Amino acid sequence: MIGDFPQLLINGLLAGTQLAVPAIGFTTVFAVLRFPNFAVASHATIGAYAGYLANTALGLPAGAALLVAFLVAGAFGVASDEIVLRRLRTAGPLTVAIASVALTIVLENAVRFAFGNDPRGYDLAVLRDWRVDLGWLGRVRIGPQQVINAGAAAIAMAVLFGFLGFTRTGKMMRAVADNPILAALKGINAETVARLANFIGMGLAGYGGMLIAMDTAVDPLTGFRVMLSIFAAAVVGGLGSIPGAVLGAFVIGVGEELSVLVFDPTYRTAVGFFAILIVLTLRPRGLLGERAV
Amino acid sequence: MTLRLRRRTALLGGLAAPFVSRLAAAQTGPIRLGTLTPQTGAGGPYGPPMVKTVQSVVAEINAAGGVLGRKIELVSEDDETNPDSAVRAARKLIDVEKVSAIIGTWASAVTTAVAPLCWENKVMLFTVSGADSITKLPHNGYIIRTQPNTYLQSGMAAQFLAKSGAKSVFALSAQTPFAVDSYNRLADVLAAGGAKALGDVIYDPAKTSFRSEIDQALKTKPDALFLNSYTPDLAVILRELYRAGYEGKKFTYGYAANAKLIESVGAEVAEGLISFAPSPDLDSPSYAKIKALLGNEPDPYSCQVYDHISLAALAIAKAGAASGLAIHDSVRAVGNPAGTKVTDAVAGLKLLAAGKDVNFEGASGPCKFTALGDIEGCRFRFDIAEKGKYRLLSLI
Amino acid sequence: MENYLLAMAVFAGCYALMALGLNLIFGLAGMVNLGLVGFFAVGAYASALLTVKLHLPMLVGWAAAIALASLLGAAMALITARLRGDYLAIVTLGFAEVIRLAASNEIWLTNGTDGISAIPAPGRGVLSPLLFNLQFVVIVWAVVGLAAWALARLSAAPFGRVLRAIREDDMIAAVAGKRVLAFKVQAFALGAGLLGLAGALYAHFNAYIAPDGFQPLITIYVVLALTAGGTGTMRGAVLGAVLVIALTESTRFFGGVIPWLKPVQFAALREAAIGLALILVLYYRPDGIIPERIQPQEPA
Repeated sequence: MIGDFPQLLINGLLAGTQLAVPAIGFTTVFAVLRFPNFAVASHATIGAYAGYLANTALGLPAGAALLVAFLVAGAFGVASDEIVLRRLRTAGPLTVAIASVALTIVLENAVRFAFGNDPRGYDLAVLRDWRVDLGWLGRVRIGPQQVINAGAAAIAMAVLFGFLGFTRTGKMMRAVADNPILAALKGINAETVARLANFIGMGLAGYGGMLIAMDTAVDPLTGFRVMLSIFAAAVVGGLGSIPGAVLGAFVIGVGEELSVLVFDPTYRTAVGFFAILIVLTLRPRGLLGERAV
Repeated sequence: MTLRLRRRTALLGGLAAPFVSRLAAAQTGPIRLGTLTPQTGAGGPYGPPMVKTVQSVVAEINAAGGVLGRKIELVSEDDETNPDSAVRAARKLIDVEKVSAIIGTWASAVTTAVAPLCWENKVMLFTVSGADSITKLPHNGYIIRTQPNTYLQSGMAAQFLAKSGAKSVFALSAQTPFAVDSYNRLADVLAAGGAKALGDVIYDPAKTSFRSEIDQALKTKPDALFLNSYTPDLAVILRELYRAGYEGKKFTYGYAANAKLIESVGAEVAEGLISFAPSPDLDSPSYAKIKALLGNEPDPYSCQVYDHISLAALAIAKAGAASGLAIHDSVRAVGNPAGTKVTDAVAGLKLLAAGKDVNFEGASGPCKFTALGDIEGCRFRFDIAEKGKYRLLSLI
Repeated sequence: MENYLLAMAVFAGCYALMALGLNLIFGLAGMVNLGLVGFFAVGAYASALLTVKLHLPMLVGWAAAIALASLLGAAMALITARLRGDYLAIVTLGFAEVIRLAASNEIWLTNGTDGISAIPAPGRGVLSPLLFNLQFVVIVWAVVGLAAWALARLSAAPFGRVLRAIREDDMIAAVAGKRVLAFKVQAFALGAGLLGLAGALYAHFNAYIAPDGFQPLITIYVVLALTAGGTGTMRGAVLGAVLVIALTESTRFFGGVIPWLKPVQFAALREAAIGLALILVLYYRPDGIIPERIQPQEPA
């Protein structure tokens, strides 16, 4: 079983890249708006469907479809926040968080209403794995699709980091995230930044949702199935920290894979839960984040 | 003394009142039947075509004059693939809608939860659930199951596997009530046929990736994989197997390998997948009818509920009454081998009205039931996915 | 129709108990709990297993349900006591999922996804369905009444006042010398115990439980009940539970009104209605889910 370690590690790292993108989205919204937005689950599903339509109905290739997934989910994110969540912000983060749970139920069923329950697939070639010989570590197989997904995730992250680090708007967002009062004093319009955060955060959720769906299937429950793992990734990395979300995603991804060495495979989702507990007990701010207490 | 007796009689009369009024209503007015299928939740993909099939049969029967001169009114509820909601939906169907039969429960947990309500209220339950424990419940004849039980199915699959030359088989199963039973039976029959079962991995079908489970399976170097899955997880597994370069045989149940599966994964990934399902006489016109209605190869569940509603209608006609008790008493009588063979309800109803006996053979199989409510046996068909289509491999 | 209404009244009673439990944990003590269905499941399984496998009397099963759920509640409180609300939300959500997974997987204990059948109840099979349901309505609502009365007393007592103080501000309560952790653990344990009892009652009424029956949606129903009824008041919890059952069940009857919808679309609408109801309640309840304000003490 120990001989499986290299393969499990690779599986975990690749799974981690898939989780990273929606986790970043989740944590971005938290960083700026200060509440956990559970609606990332349904926005991931919306992105998956948007990409599906772009790919099958409009004939767009994967890259362009991913962009469509991002844009459509982002637009829904802004709209759903404006229409549903915004006016509850004064009631406190818990109220908005619960409202976001209700919102995700509504959106998931809107998708079900429009598309039914049948799982759909993208019109994309399925590629055979590469077999790599790692010498004394054994042979492992690596999926090119996984690597492409990882690449897509990396691109998204790079663009995001660039945006946040080097553009004026990005820096505005970081300012609001770091210190909303000071940012307001400096004349930064909190609402514009909030909309931006929602657009980017939910857009990434949709982008990530399509990546996950490319590997599995597009159905109304696509986002819901990975919800707990996404939260775990963001919490473990530290809510509000984007590099934390990436790190957390890898921790959860690898953790879930390695857990089969110890537990029954069906308990994999439980790993996320235990990871959260352990991290929050020992290091309440998460690996890279702010205090949770 | 007399006072006490009168009070007791009054009390008993009061208790009996609901039953009496139900019986009275059952003599005239429309015949009420219900469907309880998964429209949301994990079984969500299966419910809608099932309801559509039942609705079309009801429409056909009503257009031809109904049963015993009465129209059928169909009430459909969503069980949300979860026994908690299913129980409330069933109570509504039984206590408010006063249906005589509930058709189409799919998830084994749903069927097990709803069954006691049915037999306690003398409502007939027609189910497509496969778990062996279901017909072993004390249902007094109020359950009819058209899905061959696990014992029968895995036995058939194993026989076919052994005969097809597979020597070492590994099983991947979704977490369901019959995963373990299914594997044990598989292993037994394989051993009898000279092959070997290498092991079983049970996975959580809600996961989005099964790489580790597949690695575990492939490590044992099987020449055949038995995939005890539903369509969504089967799609993921097939893609993983393709990526892993697995070249051996792949077996699965027919309900998982439907037309939507090939659409979802593509022809190349599905290539070579062998699926098996209980089968009617393939020239059966009812089979063709369902195909025309649904627009693709009918899934086994739609075929079964087609039979459920037909059996219910015919049983009512045979019994001359529309209560659950009447269906319970007559449902086997409409499969009289000495009667005229019919494959659809309308034809059968005509014959019954003329006083003749019928032998209903349905879209899912010959529809002959044991005392416990299981099907006595059925034919099995084996299909192979080739170039994006299923081709019939054999019919036994 | 009467049978159906009586059965729904039993379910409403179970939800009322759960809402009371949530009121204690969140309404009084301010601790978020999105893992309600996990404690509900634990109570249901505890009672079912003891009565079905060990043939112990039903009341013993109920006691075990309360005890086990309370124990888990205390453990959860100890582990998560210092966490902020939104983190607590995520952790408790995960807890419920783990319980469901364990119930599905540990077949040796719980029968796995097959579930546990033939859970006994007084008069099952002997009484007519109508009388059986009626009996259960009386049992469940007697328990609800007792629990509501006991919690109201607790709330007015020093224990309740300390909890409310902790809810408003941990620090001040600690500075005032109150052992904050001990109070939180007690409140969580008591609330969890109520959730477990609700589970036991549910199991014995339904005669059958399975892991798939304990979906996260149940937690949402209870949150909706408490929010709609009025967080912080016992009466509100009970009222809210009745409203939620009325909502989920009455939507079944509208299928005939909109016949052009496919069944899957109608089902989607029904589920969406719950989410919508929660959102509307959050808008229009003047204090949203913020519990009632502490009344200032009358000057001596």
